[in-house]
Amino acid sequence: MNTETRRVQARRLAIGAVAGGVSIAALTLLRGKAGRLRDGKAGRLRDGKAGRLRDGKPGTGRLRLARGLATVRLAARGGARYAASAPRLFTSAGEHRQQLRNDLALQTAEDVASTLGAMKGVLMKLGQMASYVDNGLAPGARRTLSRLQDSVPPMSPELAAQVITEELGLPPEEAFATWDPEPIAAASIGQVHRAITHDGRAVAVKVQYPGIAETIEADLGNVALLRRMLKISAPQQDVDALLAELRERITEELDYSLEARNQQLFARFYAGHPTINVPEVVEELSTRRVITSDLADGARFAELASWSQAERDLAAETIYRFVFRSLYEAHAFNGDPHPGNYLFHGGGRVTFLDFGLVKHYSTDELAPLVAMVKHLCVENDPEAFRRAMEDAGFLMPGAPLPTDMIVEHMALFYDTVRERGPRTMTEDYASAVTRRFFDFRSPLAEYVQIPRSYVVLQRINLGLFALLAELSATADWRCIAEEIWPFVQAPPCTPMGAAEAAWRAAKSGASTQERSA
Amino acid sequence: MTAEPYAAASGLVERSAAAYAAAVPEHPGDDGFFGPASVTWRVTADLSAPVAGLRSLLMQALHPLAMAGVDQHSNWRLDPVGRLAATSAYEATVTFGDRASASRVAQQVQKIHTRVRGTDTVTGQPYAAGDPALLLWVHAALVDSALAAGQLFGTPLTEADADAYVAEMRIAAELLGVPREIIPGSVAALGEYIAGVRPVLQCTPAAAESMGYLLDPPGLDEDIAELWQDIRDAAIIALPGWARELYGYPEPGPLTAERRTEIRQALGVLDAVFLGEPGVLEARQRLTLRMRSAGKA
Repeated sequence: MNTETRRVQARRLAIGAVAGGVSIAALTLLRGKAGRLRDGKAGRLRDGKAGRLRDGKPGTGRLRLARGLATVRLAARGGARYAASAPRLFTSAGEHRQQLRNDLALQTAEDVASTLGAMKGVLMKLGQMASYVDNGLAPGARRTLSRLQDSVPPMSPELAAQVITEELGLPPEEAFATWDPEPIAAASIGQVHRAITHDGRAVAVKVQYPGIAETIEADLGNVALLRRMLKISAPQQDVDALLAELRERITEELDYSLEARNQQLFARFYAGHPTINVPEVVEELSTRRVITSDLADGARFAELASWSQAERDLAAETIYRFVFRSLYEAHAFNGDPHPGNYLFHGGGRVTFLDFGLVKHYSTDELAPLVAMVKHLCVENDPEAFRRAMEDAGFLMPGAPLPTDMIVEHMALFYDTVRERGPRTMTEDYASAVTRRFFDFRSPLAEYVQIPRSYVVLQRINLGLFALLAELSATADWRCIAEEIWPFVQAPPCTPMGAAEAAWRAAKSGASTQERSA
Repeated sequence: MTAEPYAAASGLVERSAAAYAAAVPEHPGDDGFFGPASVTWRVTADLSAPVAGLRSLLMQALHPLAMAGVDQHSNWRLDPVGRLAATSAYEATVTFGDRASASRVAQQVQKIHTRVRGTDTVTGQPYAAGDPALLLWVHAALVDSALAAGQLFGTPLTEADADAYVAEMRIAAELLGVPREIIPGSVAALGEYIAGVRPVLQCTPAAAESMGYLLDPPGLDEDIAELWQDIRDAAIIALPGWARELYGYPEPGPLTAERRTEIRQALGVLDAVFLGEPGVLEARQRLTLRMRSAGKA
């Protein structure tokens, strides 16, 4: 690779990472009360207008975030190349590589500490969060970044057994009827083993690296370096709020029991669904450091490239239904839709894995979003759409902009559901959405912002569309959306929709019976 | 003082990483002069290595004749990053390379040294880079810095391991032509030697200028520059008090546990960036594998 290419690639990575980083700042504030950064959409900060909006001083926001994100940029930069140059864990073909991973396996808690201590574990989590939330990254770089965690060696069988013994009170051979000491996959700060429970269930057991939680917590306990990088012009209380959120967010992810609860919630909601499968959690074999859930096996995202377009369309339809059904009906959004978290079984059946980053919504929080869709796509009422945007906190009230300009700008995000008819998701569309999202020269940029509760939803604009585009998926998205939109609830318009309707009918019948019983 | 400006330090991480990755052999003919079971391998792979590197440059530069040689002969001003990367590559090859590679690069350096002769403008003394006395100072500064940086910011060695490290490292000086009998072989001997050289040490204008550049290199990426502040502070903290005095650096306060952690975090972030450069992870893996199998044996 010549120097110029490398330089361009590095710059592209850096830009993408900054964008990802900004959403980390916002993400960390998702659940915080304080936080003047919450109006922090990347571009306004980049061109300095956020500062003006907030406190009348141009440029402060830009400077603060630019400096504050140094760590995150480093994480992304280091992480991306790290992952790119690392042999892919477990999935890589060839015995030599498998052997290499085994030989490098982490053998003791001290190995874990030296591999992931001194901020490296924290950086990994930050990089992972950046890759979840949004991106201005090219798809390749985005995938690379999301694989950061794969670059840490697995635990040796002995070390994994030690964790099981500590967590479940019994060595794995006794806690389970059968235990496979060879891990089958990397997971967030851990790895996955196959096992069979004493009552005969085939399960996947996710085991966390020993000491990793303590190591990361220790690094988050001394925030001098992070603080220095954040504290430029930010008032002390903002930095403190940001750091507190960051710590809480990461600490939360270190506790697998929260993830287990979320996964169980999705598993119960989709129980019996014709195409959506969420492995059920075995609660008595799950703890803070271990999650045991039903074993699923299927094709990986990359393998879909060799599947027929019809199969890919069906897989895409399932993913689309999962995202919007979860949001509009279960009021929950799984913020981790990266390609590694799906298994494909053909006929549109998809298994959804990893519920480490789930955001729950109240009806009130969702109402303005629902209103926006309704006014723009169904009722075609621009003024009402604008008011809904203001209610949602996306648009500053009284912004001196004509409504048709706002509609024209925003319509791109709704482009696939504004009209009926089959549409193919293309890379062009996905990147147009990304470009528009990060278009900070737009006259709207100064007045548009993303309220913190909706930050994670930007994965729809920036992640889901890119994913569907990689599948070149064709469907009548509008028609599917109408089935799901709570204010339309149209009859099924695809065979999968019909199967889903039957499932919903059975489900509501069952719950009616339960209630009357 | 020469008016030539220094070139920007951009690419410091990338070029050092490339040099390092290339220097760690894929198919070594033998275990080299140290070997995977050596203390030297462990010390060289320690998190504190960047602090050790910077501290050792600060120490080396205090010898007016060593400094003059670098200032008047090498491409140091035109391409400081290239010079540093070349030094890293040399050190890595001598440490991790097989005997043939280590001897080859040492001979190349010796050959270059024969051309580096002149007169120091400050002391008026003639110098030659091949002079064992100068080479010994450069060697001692490096060994002493690895111990000091590791002690403060890395994984401290036991007394026995520290002595073993000093003894193991003698071969590195020998490879450049220093007679074995004058090379310190223990921590105590190293301390005596350094104390003996102290009277000739001084901060010449060239040293002040070079080290000023190194402590705050222009053109670093913004994020690396942020971390460099910690590396710089750490190197200054790790210096002996008399060396700080010669440079006129203010005496740092006591090293608190919090500040130590912060510096270790900066080292960790820098290491993650380094590891992200092409080839570095593979090079590390090659070394880890060899160290592990040596540990089992």
